Amino acid sequence: MPAAPDNFQITGDNLFRRTLKLMGNRFEISVVAEDADRAEKAIELAVLEIRRIEALLTTFRPDSQVNQINDAAGIRPVKVDQEVVELIIRALKISRLTQGAFDISYGSIDKRLWNFDTSMTALPDPAIARQMVRLINYRNIIPDEKASTVFLKEKGMRIGFGGIGKGYAADRAKMVLQKAGIRSGIVNASGDLSTWGLQPDGKPWTIGIADPDSAGHPFSYMDITDMSVATSGNYEKFVEICGRRYSHTIDPKTGFPVSGIRSVTIISPVAEIADAMATPVMVMGIRVGLDLINQMQQIACIIIDDHNRIYTSKNITLK
Amino acid sequence: MRASRAGAAAVIDHQSISMKKISLTVIGLYLGILAAFSQPKPDSVYQSRKLKIEEINLVSSYYHQEGDHAAVTGGIGSQKLTDISNSLEIKLNRYDKKYRKQTWSLDLGIDHYTSASSDKIDPKTLTSASYADTRVYPTLAFSRENEKKGTEFGVGASFSAEYDYTSIGVNGHFSKKTKNRMGEFSAKAQVYLDQIHLIYPMELRDGASPEKLKTGSDARNSFSGTFSWSQIVNQRLQLMFLLDLVQQTGYLSLPFNRTYFDDGSVHVERLPDSRFKLPLGFRANYFVGDHLVLRGYYRYYMDNWGLKAHTASLETAIKVSPFFSVSPFYRYYRQTAVDYFRPYAAHKAGQDYYTSNYDLSEFNSHFFGSGIRLAPPAGVFGIKHFNSLELRYGHYTRSNTLQSNIISLHLKYK
Repeated sequence: MPAAPDNFQITGDNLFRRTLKLMGNRFEISVVAEDADRAEKAIELAVLEIRRIEALLTTFRPDSQVNQINDAAGIRPVKVDQEVVELIIRALKISRLTQGAFDISYGSIDKRLWNFDTSMTALPDPAIARQMVRLINYRNIIPDEKASTVFLKEKGMRIGFGGIGKGYAADRAKMVLQKAGIRSGIVNASGDLSTWGLQPDGKPWTIGIADPDSAGHPFSYMDITDMSVATSGNYEKFVEICGRRYSHTIDPKTGFPVSGIRSVTIISPVAEIADAMATPVMVMGIRVGLDLINQMQQIACIIIDDHNRIYTSKNITLK
Repeated sequence: MRASRAGAAAVIDHQSISMKKISLTVIGLYLGILAAFSQPKPDSVYQSRKLKIEEINLVSSYYHQEGDHAAVTGGIGSQKLTDISNSLEIKLNRYDKKYRKQTWSLDLGIDHYTSASSDKIDPKTLTSASYADTRVYPTLAFSRENEKKGTEFGVGASFSAEYDYTSIGVNGHFSKKTKNRMGEFSAKAQVYLDQIHLIYPMELRDGASPEKLKTGSDARNSFSGTFSWSQIVNQRLQLMFLLDLVQQTGYLSLPFNRTYFDDGSVHVERLPDSRFKLPLGFRANYFVGDHLVLRGYYRYYMDNWGLKAHTASLETAIKVSPFFSVSPFYRYYRQTAVDYFRPYAAHKAGQDYYTSNYDLSEFNSHFFGSGIRLAPPAGVFGIKHFNSLELRYGHYTRSNTLQSNIISLHLKYK
């Protein structure tokens, strides 16, 4: 990804936008405000909040709270901020909901055995694949809310927030902006976006969903407000073996690359859930994934399969 | 019965028209069928299962579970979760590999009209004060837009049938925008191949006519080319120039029109089997503010039957609220007669062509009235799929004594 310079723009009547790189992703924060000064100040608060979360959750800094947990895997519980414990408790809820298709110990993957690569010509042996993911198991993540600690049971286990952190940051940024009096806006964390309020002209926000065939071009639009949208897809990183397309996403239970689905879009009022649910629906497959979403309240999903067929949860009408 | 298609001189045939239109639009033939699960995943380790109640409500309780005092969504009034059920609509576009937008549309139109004058073709069938007819007209259209180049082309086909008339139409269009996207040239070619059922006046059927009359049906073919240039001058002013070239061949008379000669004999109207029409138009829209639009229009028309006409009209659209608008209009029209027109009992025997149809006589007319349009966001009368209601009333007066009131109603369901 080209580095995103930090840039503040006035993009329309009362609409202000700042684009910058945060958490390794391009963030775009747009707000509706009476004047540029107010908009700039509010956005600055949101940026500070996202930076704070980044520092808390990063695995790139050796002394971060998350890395302290990982370093003590199989040894002892580690005391961390209540915020981190709560985030882990919520993540485990999603793991149970998705039968382990979502798992924050995904980082325990043993890449020495085999590694997904777009020049691959054959799938790994199933036994080797399973061996690779042996340490991925959300049941071995033990949070203790009262003591504010987290313990990883197995030595070598690692947790990471790649599948949920962006959504959490978007929810927090939105909250900070709302507290600063911003009645409407969009926090776009490179495609995972959170919207609230209405556009300056009083219309709901229009969100485009990228066409798997021509990324960057929306194949469809929807009008939303107070909703978050996240998409997980294999647009670029995939490999074709024996006529089947395999994505870079590895099923945490089998160790195999996932196939059959090109993209999953989740729509929900909570950005963290939208972010966290897109990949497990892809892993679980169309039938199981849709069945899960259809049973839940306040969540919708759009799936595009390898043959460009569109599947949606029941609460979506196609036009 | 029917107003001729492209650039017709006279438009008003019916004493009253009541029209109902149901429009269905399908965009993008890209929908997968949910039943067609062809996912070969026998080794899937994930199974469908029935969710527990707290899992069903995971989203609404997500940040409020025990211990989560950070409560991201708490405390702020506007945080009430929007109900997602049935509220999401996805509009599909299909882009091809070259990023061109393709759109398919299928329209089904149904017109139902009543007319007082069509009863008079055959008085014996008169059973009520007016005659009613239903016209069904499906159309299929495809267009492809290259947003990068600002070009669009499309083709379409249509079919229309009513009791005395069937019509098959094909068309193609092309348009190109200027570099700054302020101007656009467009060209459209249309062909209509029509079949007219020859229904003659009662007393002239079965060989009773002085001339030999063709029986059954006859063809009427129309070929037209439409060229237009539209220009956005600035945010408030838009201009458009229009040129049509229309050639019609075949049976161009109306079989049920009687012509009385000066000797008292009665004949079926007879007109040449070829007609070339040339309308030239100019349109200007001026947006005075957000709530007022002025639409001006002038057209000059001529054809090789000797008819020349001028049309000028002004329509205003006043947006009272985003969901309610009023649009009063006035139109002035003046035409000269075709070479073959003589009034009642003025035609002499021995002419090739003759008509007493006052639509082809010299006259001028005034047409004025107003429309109102309702399009509330929750649907008209609170009915969800009832998008808009448009009611138009017009009073039409013509110098040769024809007067009529026209009410039309457009209902849109989505």
